[in-house]
Amino acid sequence: MNGTIIFMLIGMAALVMVNVPIAVALGVVAVAAIWIAQGSHMLPNAALVMFEGATNFPLLAVPLFVFAGGIMNASSIARRLINLATAILGFIRGGLSMVTVGASMFFAEISGSAVADVAALGTLLIPAMKERGYSKEFAAAVTSSSASLAIIIPPSIPMILYAAMAQESAVKLFIAGIIPGVLGGLGLMALCYYYAWKYNFPVEQKFQLTRLGTALKEGAWALVMPIVILGGIFGGFVTATEGAALAVVVALFIALFIYRDIDMKSLYTACIDSAIQTAVVMLLVAASALVGVFLTESQLPQKLATAMVTLTSNPYMVLLLLNIFFLVLGMFLHSAAAIILTVPIVLPLIHQVGIDPIHFGLVLTLNLAIGQQTPPVASVLIASCSIAKSDIWATTRANLGFIGVLVGVLMLCSYVPWLSLVLIQMFYG
Amino acid sequence: MKTFRHFYNRLLEAIAAILIVAVTAIVTAGFVFRWSGHSLVWYDEVAAISLAWLTYYAGALAALRGAHIGFAGFVNSLPAQWRVAATLFSSAVTIFFFALLTWTGFEVVKILKGDTLVSIPEVSLQITQSVIPIASAMFVLAELLRLPDLLEEARRGPLVDHEIQEALEHGKIAAREHRK
Repeated sequence: MNGTIIFMLIGMAALVMVNVPIAVALGVVAVAAIWIAQGSHMLPNAALVMFEGATNFPLLAVPLFVFAGGIMNASSIARRLINLATAILGFIRGGLSMVTVGASMFFAEISGSAVADVAALGTLLIPAMKERGYSKEFAAAVTSSSASLAIIIPPSIPMILYAAMAQESAVKLFIAGIIPGVLGGLGLMALCYYYAWKYNFPVEQKFQLTRLGTALKEGAWALVMPIVILGGIFGGFVTATEGAALAVVVALFIALFIYRDIDMKSLYTACIDSAIQTAVVMLLVAASALVGVFLTESQLPQKLATAMVTLTSNPYMVLLLLNIFFLVLGMFLHSAAAIILTVPIVLPLIHQVGIDPIHFGLVLTLNLAIGQQTPPVASVLIASCSIAKSDIWATTRANLGFIGVLVGVLMLCSYVPWLSLVLIQMFYG
Repeated sequence: MKTFRHFYNRLLEAIAAILIVAVTAIVTAGFVFRWSGHSLVWYDEVAAISLAWLTYYAGALAALRGAHIGFAGFVNSLPAQWRVAATLFSSAVTIFFFALLTWTGFEVVKILKGDTLVSIPEVSLQITQSVIPIASAMFVLAELLRLPDLLEEARRGPLVDHEIQEALEHGKIAAREHRK
């Protein structure tokens, strides 16, 4: 069995290197392993497992949250949130960069996809920042980092994926993300303020209560969304999956009947985009179920955990090693793929050294958020650079301070589990 | 060829849109009926199956658009002829895998004759499981239709990330609307 596992790992790495889709690479090595280990008559099992793997009930929340985000993107929600954030933060020096952070945090509550956030907010805010004298690298960097931070603020697709793979509560993970998300947002804003003084960025507008009132009135329904969704989920009225369906219904209601700014063509496009994004993630999940059969039989995760514990059983050391591992992995792997591939392998280790799996889920998501900022595989950063028309490496240099803030939040959350677990203790006792 | 690809894209889009609406409707109905005190007995089973259908049919559409997650970094660093060779190999592996799923999927459908859903005995498992062979065959066709453009893209230069490209296009449209 060990030989089969080594063959699978090498085969998969080779296929991924030549740009075979990761889901296909997983499937091919698993099918080859079935053929070698059990004979060709067992191949129909592959079709059965691939079907079962895609019927993972908790993951129904993925298409629904993505669909709700698509509807929001197609309507004027982004613009209204930016207006509101500008009314609140525009009077501070460098306020436009803070508006980017603030709008991302609001938007995260709705869409759950960092690339979609960058596209929706960046196309409006990056040109505005460039017009106001911000360098294009800085504009791209702040947009990219704040969109990545957004994946730890609920609802979060990576968190839903982790919860399904680790068989943990997605709602508890959502709650765990609140304090770190707010801390990260404040940290990014503080850094924006420092840069604003250093580079003499302008003040956007004087603070006016009337302007704030108008922005609040225009954006009130956009603010109702997260209150209804998260209130419903955290209040225990709906499950995460039902909350996602509620998000779609509320988003449709607001876009069609309140703002009346979404046409059928945009709605149809939102349907298709959501279906594609779901399929891309779910095919990975289904293919990983095939590999999972071998992982279970080989006891590889348990053996790795035992080997690791002989080196160190200190949970903080284990977290340090895993942080390094996931930060490097995030440079090369999409966050969904990283979660699906690694969680089944590292989970026994997490349990063995006594790390809370919810705490670990948050730490993992934060690592992958930072991974979205580090080339070569940095989908969020690349999207941001495309909008700003800036060089990826020059933007990465401008982004170092923001990455530093994200790493600081990661370290805090890794070594002060209280930050992610205190609200769960308050909610669940 | 282009006309057929356009038609095929439209067909897959329509299936994907219907399925995402269906998933939303099923989960919303489940939630509403649970709240009204009349939980739907078929909710869990049908909702999970609808997710599998969405996964595979929309997966074929994602294949036609080149949206499946891969790592193009190494291939993009290769000279043009090697980039083309690697792209051809990658497509061949993908087609082989889904052709195999088509065949094994048909075998499973044959075996399941007479079996039904637990919550709705009127629905045969052959219908629910048919998604694997049918959608896999559609995946193979999608991959074949995309291949000429993909090879041309590999010949011209580095392969592009379609997730980013599509998100940016949507962003640009939204920004244009905003300026209006």
